[in-house]
Amino acid sequence: MTDREDPLDAIIDILKEPAGLTPDLTVLVMAEIERLPPPGAAATSVPWWRRSWTIRLRPVHGLGLVGGLAVLVLAFGLAGRRWGRSASPGEPRADAGQLTQFVLVAPEASAVTVVGDFNDWSMSATPLERAERDGLWYVTVPLVPGRYRYAFVVNGTVWRSDPEAPAGEDEFGRSNSVVTVGGT
Amino acid sequence: MSGARFGFLPVFLLAAALPPIARGQEPRLVGRVPDAARTQVDAILVAARARGLPIEPLVDRALEGATKGAPPAALVAAVTRLRDELVVVRDAFGATASTAELTAGTSALRAGATARDLVRLRSLRSRRPLTVAAAVMADLVAAGVPADTAVGAVLALAPDADDADYIAFRRNVHRDIVLGASPAVALAVRIRLATETADPSSPNSSGSGGSRKRKP
Repeated sequence: MTDREDPLDAIIDILKEPAGLTPDLTVLVMAEIERLPPPGAAATSVPWWRRSWTIRLRPVHGLGLVGGLAVLVLAFGLAGRRWGRSASPGEPRADAGQLTQFVLVAPEASAVTVVGDFNDWSMSATPLERAERDGLWYVTVPLVPGRYRYAFVVNGTVWRSDPEAPAGEDEFGRSNSVVTVGGT
Repeated sequence: MSGARFGFLPVFLLAAALPPIARGQEPRLVGRVPDAARTQVDAILVAARARGLPIEPLVDRALEGATKGAPPAALVAAVTRLRDELVVVRDAFGATASTAELTAGTSALRAGATARDLVRLRSLRSRRPLTVAAAVMADLVAAGVPADTAVGAVLALAPDADDADYIAFRRNVHRDIVLGASPAVALAVRIRLATETADPSSPNSSGSGGSRKRKP
């Protein structure tokens, strides 16, 4: 106790004195530290596929990623189409089929094409060649077994069925012909 | 802040860079089938693919309509009708039927064959291709043969005929018709010839102990 008269001053003096540490504090602290895993131990104890990842992406890097993905998707898409059917749109799709000849007599024609199920009904895919005489036009197309509807287009505008072939069904007002290719 | 502002950009560019097929569109229809029809046709193709149907015949039908300048509604109607026919034929021929078989089956169906006829054809030609047999059904009807007669002829040949036999049969019937025979008579004559060839007891058969294979 001091010689001050004011009890409040006495309390303040007591509170200003440093708190005393227990003698075993150091031991307790060191024991807790020893229980902690060593640095890096937490990261290696969890498999990599179960850890959380933080990815920081800048817009410019995102563009690069998008470009790469687009190239991959495009490449797979093109490859799928190439494997699935013809190499290019409108090309006859049978790559190892039976050779089938289409013939039309059209002396007045300046150009003849054949359109059908075998070439995506493309007006430009399968032009006929003109023979030396008789107004004969012809082309040979490989076709795998199946039933194909087709028609000739003369001079780009006039639709003609094949007079030598069976008629095929049509729902659009222009007659078709049919060729059936067998496999056995 | 800038990352958040431009965060949509990669997604937008990716969507724009994807080929039509990755966006659920059939690339062969783009630029050929009018937009008014293409959206509906694409939806039909997606649904058909999900049901295990081949989409090639459907794409062909859409392209045919586009090349022939069909109105969008007619084009969509044609594709829808073919889709429905493919379902019927697939049920008749089985899930393992090829695209060519299914396509030929739809032609036979349209020519007048019934789903039951196609089931019968499948059972008579187990493990043998159906494409040409079904196609000949349609071809005979197109040549003027009554549908039930054509179906009966094709089924009569079904157990033994191979593709070449069917094609020869159809060609001979067609030739007879061109020479003046009525379609029904031409078919009846050719079927009788085929049956006699297959019957070893017939005086017209190729010989005893020979093959029972029917040769049109």
